[in-house]
Amino acid sequence: MKKHFSVLALVWVVIAPAVQAQSATATIGHLQNLSGSATVDRAGAALPAAAGMVLLQGDKLRTGRPGAAGVVLTDDTTIALGSGSELVLDNYAFAPQEGKFSLALKLMKGTFSYVTGQIVKLSPEAARVQTPTATIAVRGTKLLIEVQE
Amino acid sequence: MSANDRLSSVRRSGGVWLGVGALLLLLGGCAAHQSVVLVPDPAGHVGIAEVRTAAGRQTLQKAGDMTQIRNASAAPSAITTAQADFITATFGEVLAIEPAPARVTTLLFESGAAELRADALALLDDIAAASKRPGVVRVSISGHSDATGSVQLNDALSRQRADRVRTLLLERGVPARLIDVSSHGKGNPLITTPDGVPEPRNRRVMVVVR
Repeated sequence: MKKHFSVLALVWVVIAPAVQAQSATATIGHLQNLSGSATVDRAGAALPAAAGMVLLQGDKLRTGRPGAAGVVLTDDTTIALGSGSELVLDNYAFAPQEGKFSLALKLMKGTFSYVTGQIVKLSPEAARVQTPTATIAVRGTKLLIEVQE
Repeated sequence: MSANDRLSSVRRSGGVWLGVGALLLLLGGCAAHQSVVLVPDPAGHVGIAEVRTAAGRQTLQKAGDMTQIRNASAAPSAITTAQADFITATFGEVLAIEPAPARVTTLLFESGAAELRADALALLDDIAAASKRPGVVRVSISGHSDATGSVQLNDALSRQRADRVRTLLLERGVPARLIDVSSHGKGNPLITTPDGVPEPRNRRVMVVVR
């Protein structure tokens, strides 16, 4: 019995960090460029954005007026936001080893450029861009998108 | 004022508000609420994008193709060509803040081994120098394998390859806080091959400096 417990404990020690790495605390990208002001809404808190900041799944990035930001996700997806824009990193999975891919971006308002990354290359149907009234399916390229309020 | 009078007064003001509402809708109808424009990516490639609403869809397939969506219940407009002055006026600020393309280096490995080829070793000093420049926010190291051998073997091998490069970059003074490491096994090949086929160009570590 004792042996069983120690084996279980060992399994837990090995598995727990791996499970955590897949949770909402995993880095999915970075804020690379910033001019003016921007805010990241995360878990109920509004954090002031800074260049180099780590981004997590579920983050909402809001740029001020003036404010502009450039974001790079770990699969090389690149998104730029102009003043008064809101972007939600709604869903993200990039695990080629397991064949797991998912990208859902919500462009709530403002101006954007969007350059697709490896997720679209490896699994085009896994990527989706949503505006308040439209869904955009992209097959590997760059788009400019304006969403007026 | 009789009950009837009050009712007709309510009707009249209701009519005025309906009129104002219709005018606003009309004015709103003139402005595009959303615009989607297809442009070449940094490598010059132009892909395809399908824009869909509840009422219809349009497919963008040439550089400059644009569709606009005027309200929630409308289909995307017929494709037009976005003019350069519209793009500059609307997206100038966005295009100015876009992250520069990353610096990507491919390091090749010997078959079945976590040892870099000699030509790959020679690239490490350049990667380290680029990683230490001001403004760099991330150095991403991903390990890959070709399609020979089991999934488990290749997952382990591509992790060892990535870890090896991490060690070599740390030795060259790249700050650990900038580095992330991932292993893709045979799941993300540079050159697509059938399973079991050797391909030297897939036995690699990619280092992306941003």
